Amino acid sequence: MIAGAWICLLAPLAGALTITLLGTTISRNTAAWISTTSVFAAFGGSVAAFIGLLGREHEERQVVTSAWTWLATPNFKVDLSLLIDPLSLTMMLIVSGVGGLIVLYSIGYMDGDPEERRYFAYMSLFVFSMLMLVQAANFLLLLVGWGLVGLASYLLIGFWHERPEAVAAAKKAFVMNAFGDATMALAFFVLMWQTGSLNFEISFEGAQTLSQTTVNLVALGLLGGAVAKSAQLPLHTWLPDAMEGPTPVSALIHAATMVTAGVYLIVRAHPIFELAPSISNLAAGLGAITLLLAGLVALVQTDIKRVIAYSTMSQIGYMFVGAGLGAYSSAMFHLMTHAFFKALLFLGAGLVIHHLAGEQDIRRMGGMKTVMPKTYIAFLIGSLALVGIPPLSGFFSKDAILASALASGGYGQFLFILGLIGTLLTGLYTFRLLFVVFLGEPSPLVREHTQAAQAHAGEEDASRPHGEPVHHGEGPSTMTWPVGVLAVLAVAGGWIQIAGLWHPFGHWLDSIAFGRDHIDLVEPTVTQDYVASALAVALGLVGIYVAWVFYGARKRSVPRFEGFQEILEHKFYFDELYDLIFYKPAVLLTRGLRRGVEEPVIGGSISGVTAGARETAGAVGGVQTGYLRSYALVIALGVAVLVVVFVSVQ
Amino acid sequence: MQGPDVSWYLIVAALLFSIGTAGVLLRRSPLIVLLSLEIMLNAANLALISFARMHGDHTGQVFALAVMAVAASEVVVGLGLIVAIARRRLDLDVDRLRVLRG
Repeated sequence: MIAGAWICLLAPLAGALTITLLGTTISRNTAAWISTTSVFAAFGGSVAAFIGLLGREHEERQVVTSAWTWLATPNFKVDLSLLIDPLSLTMMLIVSGVGGLIVLYSIGYMDGDPEERRYFAYMSLFVFSMLMLVQAANFLLLLVGWGLVGLASYLLIGFWHERPEAVAAAKKAFVMNAFGDATMALAFFVLMWQTGSLNFEISFEGAQTLSQTTVNLVALGLLGGAVAKSAQLPLHTWLPDAMEGPTPVSALIHAATMVTAGVYLIVRAHPIFELAPSISNLAAGLGAITLLLAGLVALVQTDIKRVIAYSTMSQIGYMFVGAGLGAYSSAMFHLMTHAFFKALLFLGAGLVIHHLAGEQDIRRMGGMKTVMPKTYIAFLIGSLALVGIPPLSGFFSKDAILASALASGGYGQFLFILGLIGTLLTGLYTFRLLFVVFLGEPSPLVREHTQAAQAHAGEEDASRPHGEPVHHGEGPSTMTWPVGVLAVLAVAGGWIQIAGLWHPFGHWLDSIAFGRDHIDLVEPTVTQDYVASALAVALGLVGIYVAWVFYGARKRSVPRFEGFQEILEHKFYFDELYDLIFYKPAVLLTRGLRRGVEEPVIGGSISGVTAGARETAGAVGGVQTGYLRSYALVIALGVAVLVVVFVSVQ
Repeated sequence: MQGPDVSWYLIVAALLFSIGTAGVLLRRSPLIVLLSLEIMLNAANLALISFARMHGDHTGQVFALAVMAVAASEVVVGLGLIVAIARRRLDLDVDRLRVLRG
C-alpha cells in the first residue's frame, strides 16, 4: 500500500524526466506513450493503495509515510511525507484515473503537433504536481504541489506560445494564482508561528486554542488560495482565458483536477474552517454567487470551450457551497462526478473541434449529430449528468449539496434558492450548447470538413501524409475509448451514494473527520433530500425545455436580453474592473519609476561613472605630452622638492 | 692633506650637476641631451668621491665605479637609439619625437 502511494506519486515524475532527458532521441509517439504509461502506472499505484486502505479498520485509515526529514530546526520540523487516507486516496484515484484517460486521448488529439514531447512532459509534470498536492502530509508539501500545478498550468495554457493570446492567458492565470499563493503562504506563516508546525494533525490540534481573529486570518488566507485556484469570485477571470490551451489540458487541469484543488483544501483543512464559521460562510457565499454569475455568462458565450469553462466555474461554486456549509462528503462526491462528466464534455468538444480542424465557434457549427453520432451520445450523456437528471451521476451529487444547504438554517436555505436558480441556468446553457452544435442541418463548415474527411478515408491506404489527422469516423481509438469510459463513469459514477438510502462514499470519508465520527456537519433529513432533488430536477428540466424552445429549431444561437446583453457579454465587466484597479495603476507606476528612478538614478549613476572615468582619464591624460623636455622638467622639479623636504625634515 | 677643502669639490659637483640639468632641459638635440646627462652623472661621481674622502670610507669610490658602468651602458643604448632615428631620416629634435605619447 505504501509502495503503491509512492509509485503513484513518482511514476509521472519519472515519466516527465524521461521524456525531458531523452529529448529528440525518442519519437513523438514514444514520448506520448511514456507519459500515458506513467500516469496509468500512477493509477495502478493508487488502486493498490486503495485496496490496502480498504483492508484496514475504519479508525486506522490515516497512514503517514515519510521519506526523509526535509527541514529540521529546534522548533520546527517538516518531513517529506505522504498521507494516505480516504480523502487523499479519492483525489489520487480521480487525478490518476481521469488523468490517464485524458493523456491517452491527447495522443490522438495532439498527433502531428511538432512539440508533442514538450506537451507530454508537461502533462506528466502536472499529474505529478497534483498528486503531490493531494498526498502531502503537511501544508508545506501541499504548497509545493500547489505552486507546481500553477506552473504546469501556465506552461500548458501557453503551450502554443506563438499565439499571443495564449501567452497572455497563461500569464493571467499565473498572476491571479500567485495572489492566492501569497494569501496561503501568509496563512501558513501564522499557523507555523502560533502552532509550531505545518503538519496537519499537529496544526489542527494547535489551532483549537488560538484566538478567533488568528483562526479567521488563517482560514481567510487558505480561502484566498482556494478561490484563486478554483476560479471563484473574485479571482475567476483567468479560467475562461485558459481555454487557449489544448482541449485535453482544459479537460484535465481546468475541469477535473487543478481547479478542484481549492475544494480539496477546504475539506482537508476543515478543522480550521470549522473554527472560523464566518469564513466558511464566506466560502459558501462566494460559491453561490459564482455559480449564478458563471451560469448567466455561459448563456451568451459563443466558443464551445468557454461555455464548458463557465460551467466548470459554476459547478465548483456548488462544491464551495457544500464545503462551506460543512457538507464535505457531498462536495467531494460532486467533485468526483464532475470530474467524470466535465472531462467527458471537454473531450467530446475536443472530438468536434478536432473534426472541424480547430473551429470552436458554435455559430459556425450545427448538425454534428448526423456527422458524429457517437460523439453526440457522449455529449448528451455529459450534458444530462451535468444538469443532474437521474439516474446519471450529477443528480446524486449535486442534489446532495442542495439538500445539505436546505438543512443548514436560514443562510443555507438562501443559498439553496440560489443553487436552484443555478440548476435552471445549467439546464439552459448546457442544452443550448448541445442543440446549437449538434441538432439541425449540418452547417456549411461542418459539411466542408465532413467531405474532406470522407475523401481522406477513401484514400487511406494509398498515400497518407505524415502527421495529418485521418478521420476514422469520429476519431482515432485513442480518442474515442477514453470518451467511452468517461461516458460510462458519468452514468454510473453516482451510484455509490444515494441520499437517504445508502452512503458508502460518505462513510468512506468519515475516517478523515477531526475529532468526531462523521465528516459532514449537516445531515439532511429524507424529506429535505426528496424536496431538494425534486425541485432541482424540475428546474433542470425547465431549463432544458426553454433551451429547446429557443435553440432546438436553431433559429438563433445566442440569446438576446434587452439591456442586459452588454453586461453578460462583458462577463459582468470583471476584466475591465481589474484592468482599472490593478493593471493600469501598475503600468503607470512602472512607467513613472522607469522615468524617474531607473533612467536617471540607476542608469544615470552607471553612465555617470563611465562618463566621469572617461573625463578624468582625459584630464589626466593631458600629462602625457610626449615632450621629452617636459618629462625631464617634471623629474627635475620632483627631485628638487624631495631635496627640500629631506633637508628641512632632517 | 693638500689641495682645497672637500667642500670646494662639492661645489664644483653641484655646479656641474646644474649645468648638466640645464642642458637636458634646454637643448633640443638628443645627442646634446645625452652629453648633458653624462655631465650630470660625472657630477654625481665627483660628489661621491668627495664624500668618500671626507668620511675616509671607500664605499663612495666603489659606488662611483658602479655608476660609471651604468653610465656606459646607458650611453650605448642612447646612442643606439639616436643612430636608429638618424637612419630613418627623422629629425633629431626632441620636441618633434612625440609619437610614443599616451
